[in-house]
Amino acid sequence: MDAQVLGISTDTKFSHMAWVDKELGELTYPLLADFTKQVSKDYGVLLERLGAALRGTFIIGPDGLLRAYIVQDLTVGRSVDEILRIVTALRTGKLCPAGWRPGEPHLPPIPGNSGE
Amino acid sequence: MAVQVNSPAPAFELSGVVGKEYRKVKLSDYKGKWVVLFFYPLDFTPI
Repeated sequence: MDAQVLGISTDTKFSHMAWVDKELGELTYPLLADFTKQVSKDYGVLLERLGAALRGTFIIGPDGLLRAYIVQDLTVGRSVDEILRIVTALRTGKLCPAGWRPGEPHLPPIPGNSGE
Repeated sequence: MAVQVNSPAPAFELSGVVGKEYRKVKLSDYKGKWVVLFFYPLDFTPI
């Protein structure tokens, strides 16, 4: 996919390291510690009553613009497939219809619209 | 403050675990790359 993955929770970096050591094994991406909860708040995913973040996934472009996000409640896991689909679609820079899958045709550009 | 698609993603600098080391990471470290940022509630639970 050639995108940088970053994981964030409100745990401490020491808790992250313990998790890596005991269960996960060395990860190919950083796990970051938002123990002040400010970043979770900034992204609108902080559940105040738990002091923990919802399962939010944010796709950010090379220019630093937020391009897509999905936030779900704690009880439902993510779809990695859907995240990959959206990143791949965004990277084409073309119009991708509903349910578009990599390799499928794009829609023609709309006149007067950048198509992004 | 609410995030909005097509607006700048909120900047941050956080400490964390990179490989087997503690390091600081800034969102701006990845300028020029696509970034998938995921939040999860708690260590030792499914992502």
